[in-house]
Amino acid sequence: MTSARPRPTAVNRLGSMRRRVLPALALVALAGCASNAPQDTWDPAGPNAQMIDDLQRPVFAVAGIVGLIVAAAVGWAIFRFRDRGQAIPKQTHGKPVLEITLTIIPALILAVIGVFTVRTVFDLSKTDDTEMVINVTGQQWWWEYDYPVQEEFGITQPIITSGQLVIPVGTKVMLRQTSRDVIHSYWIPRLNGKRDAVPGRVHLNRIEADEPGIYAGQCTEFCGLSHANMRMEAVALSKEDFAAWVAQQLAPYESPADGLAKEGEAVFLNQCVRCHQVNGLERADGSPAIAAPDENVVSGAAPNLSKLMSRNTFAGAMFDLLTPACRRDVWEASPADFGSKYLAGVSEDCLNQTDLRGWLRNAPEMKPMYANPALLAGTGGKYRGMPYLALTESDIEKLVAYLVTLK
Amino acid sequence: MAIIERPSAPATVPAIPSASLGALKRPVTTQHGWRSWLFTVDHKKLGIMYGATALFFFVVGGLEAVLIRLQLALPDGRVLNADLYNQMFTMHATTMVFLFVMPMVSAFANYFIPLQVGARDVAFPRINAFGFWAFLFGGIFLNLAWFLGGAADGGWFMYAPNSGPVFSPSHGVDFWALGLQITGIASLTGAVNLIVTVLNMRAPGMSLMKMPVFTWMATVVQFLLLFAMPVITVALFLLMFQRNFGATFFDVAAGADPLLWQHLFWIFGHPEVYILILPSFGIISEVLPVFSRKPLFGYPFVVFSGAAIGFVGWGVWAHHMFASGLGPVSVAVFSVATMAIAVPTGVKVVNWTMTLWGGKLQFTVAMKFAIALIVLFTVGGLSGVTHAVAPSDTQQTDTYYIVAHFHYVLFGGAIFGIFSGMYYWWPKMFGKLLSERIGNWNFWLMAIGMNLTFGPMHILGLQGQPRRMYIWTEARAGEGFFNLAFWNLVASIGSIILAVGVLFFFINVLVTARRGAQAPLDPWDARSLEWMTSNPPKEHNFDSIPTVGHLDEFFHRKYAEDHQSGEIRKVQGAEEILAEMERNKDAHIHMPSPSYWPIVLALGLPVIAFGLIYSIPVAIVGGLIVVLGCFGWAIEPSTARDEDVDPPAAPSTEVVRHG
Amino acid sequence: MFTTGSKFFIGLSALGAVSFAVFMVLVNPSSIGATALFGFVPAVALAAWLALWSRDGEPDESSPAASAVPSPGMWPFMAAAGVALVLVGTITRPAVLILGVVVVVAAFVEWTVQSWSDRASADPAHNADLRGRIMQPLEFPVLATIGSAVVILSFSRIMLAVSKSAGAVLFIVFASLVLVGGVLFAVRPGLKRSLVAGVCAVGAVGLVAGGVGGASSGIRAELVEAKSEGHYTHRTCGPEKDKYGDKHALLGVSSRSAVIATVEFVEGTLVARVQGNPAETDRITIPRSNPSSIIFRNKTEGDFRLVARLGTAPVAEGVVEEVEQCTQLIPSGAEQLLTLTIPKPSLEPGAYVLEVAGIEGQSIEVIVP
Repeated sequence: MTSARPRPTAVNRLGSMRRRVLPALALVALAGCASNAPQDTWDPAGPNAQMIDDLQRPVFAVAGIVGLIVAAAVGWAIFRFRDRGQAIPKQTHGKPVLEITLTIIPALILAVIGVFTVRTVFDLSKTDDTEMVINVTGQQWWWEYDYPVQEEFGITQPIITSGQLVIPVGTKVMLRQTSRDVIHSYWIPRLNGKRDAVPGRVHLNRIEADEPGIYAGQCTEFCGLSHANMRMEAVALSKEDFAAWVAQQLAPYESPADGLAKEGEAVFLNQCVRCHQVNGLERADGSPAIAAPDENVVSGAAPNLSKLMSRNTFAGAMFDLLTPACRRDVWEASPADFGSKYLAGVSEDCLNQTDLRGWLRNAPEMKPMYANPALLAGTGGKYRGMPYLALTESDIEKLVAYLVTLK
Repeated sequence: MAIIERPSAPATVPAIPSASLGALKRPVTTQHGWRSWLFTVDHKKLGIMYGATALFFFVVGGLEAVLIRLQLALPDGRVLNADLYNQMFTMHATTMVFLFVMPMVSAFANYFIPLQVGARDVAFPRINAFGFWAFLFGGIFLNLAWFLGGAADGGWFMYAPNSGPVFSPSHGVDFWALGLQITGIASLTGAVNLIVTVLNMRAPGMSLMKMPVFTWMATVVQFLLLFAMPVITVALFLLMFQRNFGATFFDVAAGADPLLWQHLFWIFGHPEVYILILPSFGIISEVLPVFSRKPLFGYPFVVFSGAAIGFVGWGVWAHHMFASGLGPVSVAVFSVATMAIAVPTGVKVVNWTMTLWGGKLQFTVAMKFAIALIVLFTVGGLSGVTHAVAPSDTQQTDTYYIVAHFHYVLFGGAIFGIFSGMYYWWPKMFGKLLSERIGNWNFWLMAIGMNLTFGPMHILGLQGQPRRMYIWTEARAGEGFFNLAFWNLVASIGSIILAVGVLFFFINVLVTARRGAQAPLDPWDARSLEWMTSNPPKEHNFDSIPTVGHLDEFFHRKYAEDHQSGEIRKVQGAEEILAEMERNKDAHIHMPSPSYWPIVLALGLPVIAFGLIYSIPVAIVGGLIVVLGCFGWAIEPSTARDEDVDPPAAPSTEVVRHG
Repeated sequence: MFTTGSKFFIGLSALGAVSFAVFMVLVNPSSIGATALFGFVPAVALAAWLALWSRDGEPDESSPAASAVPSPGMWPFMAAAGVALVLVGTITRPAVLILGVVVVVAAFVEWTVQSWSDRASADPAHNADLRGRIMQPLEFPVLATIGSAVVILSFSRIMLAVSKSAGAVLFIVFASLVLVGGVLFAVRPGLKRSLVAGVCAVGAVGLVAGGVGGASSGIRAELVEAKSEGHYTHRTCGPEKDKYGDKHALLGVSSRSAVIATVEFVEGTLVARVQGNPAETDRITIPRSNPSSIIFRNKTEGDFRLVARLGTAPVAEGVVEEVEQCTQLIPSGAEQLLTLTIPKPSLEPGAYVLEVAGIEGQSIEVIVP
């Protein structure tokens, strides 16, 4: 239930406190024994976020000082010039010299801030030293990541995944962001500022992580009913671990041999494959099973479920695939052994059965998704998000058994 | 006093029995009762109606805000569902911006601009009445959506394509777009009217640089409205055609770019921010000098900085779009422009502080609200500077930090200014002083509640909590002092305190109306022209139009400065000044006649809007009502005629009504 | 002050309003019933207004005798003409019939108000004023609408008939005449009314005559031809010039701030660059089901178009058709945007390609994962 990541450094904590000057003193002790929210904007974990942080700390300091000066001046005036029966003051209409001085001083301060701002804006928009490209596509209410073929990273076939973005550490990664329906915004606060994903446009957003770990994010452009549930994580792996991850994603599909999982595959072929692709999955007649989300959902896409169990979350990162204990184990892992824990994926023991079964039973009940069939008239009957499928309990049993083999 | 003078009838015309006009005489004789309000063209009555309606919508918007905070008090809130929450925050913003602050500004501007410039009414009284009715009907129309399938759910910024028919299938957005179109018509007509009034109807001797600051700021606002409303009108028309007639202005597959909407919306939306805040700057620039007993420090600087904000305000709209992928050059330019606008705003803060400096401060409730505005607005302004820094803004935009920022600016700024104005001008409008004792409860609860509600939002935002989320989850709340759970709860408790504080205002109004004593003629020892008349003012405002020689004309008539010692002493009181004005009263005062047509014309607009949503024939009926209203209005004689007057009045009184 | 008749209509209108509200909230806001009630309320309210205004048509007891001489009026004549139109309409065309009915109704309304106002008092001036206060709000907009319609209709017939260049000249001449006339009338307010009216009448007759002439000579050949070819839509993606489709190649949207890729045809070679990556490539990745824009730049001598071959799609039972999309033919140095939405993944290599029409062996592969 609680977030866990390395504690903020002393400097960061001070920075956060500058906002609330008075209570700050009282909190040093408190802040020392607990961590901030995982989306703390004052806790950079990569060079892009660091550039922003270096710029905003002095700005906050200057703003705080100016605020104190104004408050002190007003406070002093209230105290000193309150009505104590003094005579009506001289009817002065102002002192132009003072006015002009007090206009020029803030203008100069802002000019200095402006220079550094412009420099940082251009530094942040630099793209010519990009090392890796990932296409990021938003839709209601999840993110799709596709990795174009990049031989130098071992990506010999395009990889499609969703929910969790996996990147190698110390690599300048270019996210080419767009959207399939409405405007979304991609934001991993500890790696970079946010950038909107606008349909019809490709927006470039560079991120780079310094250390292996998992970095939380959230869609920040209002995108409809489940905007609040449109979360995402960026997972940074060491270069070796990343190569292992790529190999894992590109590994051929292995159909379950028999038993419950095999029956689950049949249920999947019968129901889920209408929208969800599993690469390499074949129908009973040997033909490849190709999903057709374009015929069933407004955005024209549904998460690709190949290697589902190599991810930690599902349903637009709204739910964890891991039980709370296993989740904590991964999220709180030290940078050194994070990679191996993440790559282990979801084992049968760690699988969050409650949420997954609930989701298969009645998805619209778990996540608001305009599931009311009366509202589908304007979309030609297409759904937005996963509909209620009326699966039987035994189907759900089989499906879970099948899904857990997808890794 | 009888008000109506009939032109003496020429001998050749036989007497016309008034009965032949039935109930449809021009409503000139109604001085009391509901008809005197429904058909009035008096700027003061319209101002009061604007104010009352705006306060009603303030309560509506406030309840929406409290519901939002209740939902967010605890993780995974269950007070509202996602759909209702989205409607709630959309309508909260829409109501507060378009149905509370803007009409409240109209209320003050309508009531006090003619009084402050020494005029008897606005330039176009019937258009003034039309503006009010259009605003009222537009506001009701907007809120009707609640009962007809759900209100708008796309946020007040209504970004395309999320506002399109596929993504927002209820009629809420239609009601929103058309309702705003109607209130937009009201704003535009009001702007033209007040601009003409200020430019053409000032009292003799009142040059522009002797005009009271409130009038100045309100005039800048009217110019902003004049140029900003057409932009949103265009945007809303595009949206309407997209939703109702299959247009593809924002449809990517048809080659459109959804950012078009954002540009249109914010080219309107940013000047709109100044439309909301500048009048409050004007109000406290009236209140601070009165209770500091010295003139506004640097009047020309305040005026020109206001005008400068009015100009530069047009060049900063894209700072709402730093994250929307404009490219580094645009971002850099708009970032610097946004910093530039902080300078004239800072000038105002300096001037207010210097006005207090060396004064003789009386801490009435009006003064407390005004001083609180200086401090709270400064906090909001400084957090504004932190996101004028574009890279830093990409971390802050669309988080609660922005919510904190603009509530400090708009609640701590605009609304505190409005409350200051209400306490200051209440005796002028209603002849009774609001209770200072209840007023203190009102002020302190609002000030504490406001800081408790919006202060923690700085923390929430910087800890990464985005806006417009119907729930927040404990998994992303963190621990320790800056955890989201604690501060969300604090903000929600603050909102209750704030609501109680506002409740005290309404209690104060009720208590004052029941038990308040008659206010003295000049309760605050005020400085400007609107106090140079009775409380409340007569229908024709001034018995004789004053000739203005100074910025603070009223003060200069009351007080004289000894040139040697610099000592200031009172030479006469308000009573003497008023008595003298009554002695020299103007022989013939021409006042506009009431009319049915403004309300008929305004009634046609929501009918058209209904028709556009549900069925075109209804829209045609509405169109016919509008056309009928226009022509009835145009053909209506400018002067109320003999047969309109019942019973025929004796031709001996002062005031003649003209249309 | 409320007369018996007006009370009836006010009550009816209030009842209608209440049932409308009930209907809206409880039944169905978009049903015909709601619409009918919505029309009913203002209609009855109008009747109530008329009843109030005319005191149920009763002459006032206290007033002096009504004017003995009724004012002269054209409404009997108009009513008769309307009846004649109705008769002609029944045997010729429905439009004439409708016109006749409208004329008859208008004449009867005017006639009724006229005769009522004539009896309102003994003062003809006051009676005329009463009539005006009721009828002018209706007459002015109707007449203005008819007048505007005639002007617009006539002028548009003329503009459609004459050639494009003559149309421009005619437009300038017409606009100047209106401007000069308006200025003249404005600076010389002393001009005789009859002169002004005469000039306006001549202008109106000329315009209507021109309109009739234009309508009878028909639309100019160029427009007829364009209509038959589907105006400016593409029909083929081949290398040959499409007469109307390619005419305005350079007027189209050429580039936008963000595109998924840029495709250039440089000296006979087709190369692509993915946005955000400066390296040249011969394959681009496009997200499935996502409108994606590609800029095509022609850097080769001659006119070329970019064609996207997007596999096949079933158009009917058992019939499949090649799917292709293309830019217009653009000259060397120009650029144009092509927006693709590809709903299905590219299963085998080469499923989707970009090519230049008429050039063999040059293609960019489009990968849709």
